[in-house]
Amino acid sequence: MAVINFKEKLIQVKIVYYGPGRSGKTTNLIYIYDKLQQKLSGRPASRLITIDTRGDRTLFFDFFPVELGKIYGMDLKIQLYTTPGQVVYNTTRKLVLKGVDGVVFVADSLPARRQANIESLQNLKENLAHYNLKIEDIPLVFQWNKRDLEDEGLVLLDIETLEDDLNKELKAPSFPASAIRGYNVFQTLKQIAKLTISSVIRKFMLSEQIVKVAGG
Amino acid sequence: MDIILEEEKVDKLTLLLNKLINEGGASYVLLTDMAGNLICKSGEGSIDATSLAVLSAANFAATKEIARLIGEDEFSLLFHRGQKENIHFTRIDPEILMIVLFKPYVSLGLLRIKIEGIKKEIQKILGE
Repeated sequence: MAVINFKEKLIQVKIVYYGPGRSGKTTNLIYIYDKLQQKLSGRPASRLITIDTRGDRTLFFDFFPVELGKIYGMDLKIQLYTTPGQVVYNTTRKLVLKGVDGVVFVADSLPARRQANIESLQNLKENLAHYNLKIEDIPLVFQWNKRDLEDEGLVLLDIETLEDDLNKELKAPSFPASAIRGYNVFQTLKQIAKLTISSVIRKFMLSEQIVKVAGG
Repeated sequence: MDIILEEEKVDKLTLLLNKLINEGGASYVLLTDMAGNLICKSGEGSIDATSLAVLSAANFAATKEIARLIGEDEFSLLFHRGQKENIHFTRIDPEILMIVLFKPYVSLGLLRIKIEGIKKEIQKILGE
């Protein structure tokens, strides 16, 4: 659920990083956050909020806002969230999806996690349905993460298999990536931001037209 | 449903939030949607309003789930008491949450009456 504020000239949207446990959702956010901090050096940046357990698992969510320039004279603010990946945290995962405008699905390229990817995507569909949303209707980008492990000699699921398992019907944009090295992390973000903002603006234009038509 | 806030709407909402500060003794007030998007705010101080909105919406949602687990629809009073600052959460409608910060010497009862008083007005403005 985006907020369009004409007084502050601000469009706010919510993007959620979803995927199985330990697939690298938090690593994506931390990489983006660190890079932006370096860029802003000296200026105070927004805080990165993490609610995690004593290990490195996300308990509720990680969050921070990113300002992405202007469109139609309005500032764009993207609220980035991750969800907990572990199956047991489904209640909180569902809560984080409330009001989501766009989703990045971070899949794990390790062969042992193939089934976990499939189950997590199914879980995403079910949790979106809870808010009367269909996965086909929501801006979505896939990220095939951990590609750097290939350099260490590990055999990974090939891109075709990942596409076939998860993206065969959805045909959403996708990126091979390494969140830990930053490979395609910003490309993923740019793509989902672009899709989400245009979807919000399209919905807004449509509702304005409806109001005009209804108003005669 | 996205929330569209015209300038006039934001001005009206801010006036109501100011009223809570001037007449109810609140020190800081903000409105957020249940997704954690900040709608508007009023009050002095260097508070990170974006983070406050996000965490409050999450806290509210989690507390509601706790209520459901023990067979309640929701808790009628959501309030944390601190040494220097208290915080009170009010559900304005199913999609909107109001967060009020106030000093420990301010009467919670009086504040709640004031909040009830402006709740309907906020609903009306957002429903326009």
